[in-house]
Amino acid sequence: MNCAITLGEKLPEVIIGPFDTDALQGYADVSGDMNPLHLDETLAQSIGFSAPPVHGMKILAAFEPMLKNWRSELKIIALSGKFVQPILRGESVKLTGKVLRVSETEIFVRLFAHGPQRLPAIIGEARLRPQTEPSA
Amino acid sequence: MQNDKQHLSLGPLRLQVDPTRAKTYALETGGDGLSTPLTYPAVWLAEPSLLEVIQDLCRSQDVIPVHESQSFFYSLELALGETYDLYVLLKRETDPSRLIIEARINTTTNKLVAKIETILRLVPHDILKVKA
Repeated sequence: MNCAITLGEKLPEVIIGPFDTDALQGYADVSGDMNPLHLDETLAQSIGFSAPPVHGMKILAAFEPMLKNWRSELKIIALSGKFVQPILRGESVKLTGKVLRVSETEIFVRLFAHGPQRLPAIIGEARLRPQTEPSA
Repeated sequence: MQNDKQHLSLGPLRLQVDPTRAKTYALETGGDGLSTPLTYPAVWLAEPSLLEVIQDLCRSQDVIPVHESQSFFYSLELALGETYDLYVLLKRETDPSRLIIEARINTTTNKLVAKIETILRLVPHDILKVKA
């Protein structure tokens, strides 16, 4: 099964956003993350942002549908990300991924979320496995 | 509950994957809402007993929590409508100033479902104001 996936394979890029105030409020409502930094324009500006930053989790979570759309026959067993730079309200985000390791039982994908800045907003990784692992 | 200066453990907190909330969460994050999102346990960070600890710490030290990293490692899938036990270990680090939240999700029969790690950088309010 994994032979169909090649080392270095790039996942189809996905663009998400831009996220408006309602989108940030929507994520805050469902997640319970009411950190005012994401919702209060004045607070965000008082600490140097031109607009409130989008919840990092809202962006990290978007990698799951991206990975599922790429290979629905695989299950994701791990997803992680380091939040490097904020994505601000009104900015679009490009999600990309590249296969860095392939074995019979597991695929490792490096993930990036890029906003308008040069540095990535998120550097992440995912590990995927076949739905049914091969017998020993 | 076990408590010392640098570590605090909470739990088990018995929590349910609310199907309506899970679907809304999925739709808010680009999913189809047909299964529990991998990142759904992030909503459990807002559980009052856990959130209060984080908020109290931040208030007492005049810091703002900034999400630095997040990870999810699954052994089993989270099922919609199912109930789980959440065990949390909060670890305070001072250099750099961070709060590390390690959580473990078990079935109610004590089988491991997932491990989660949340790292919050604790940034002094004053530093943020100086930057502005």
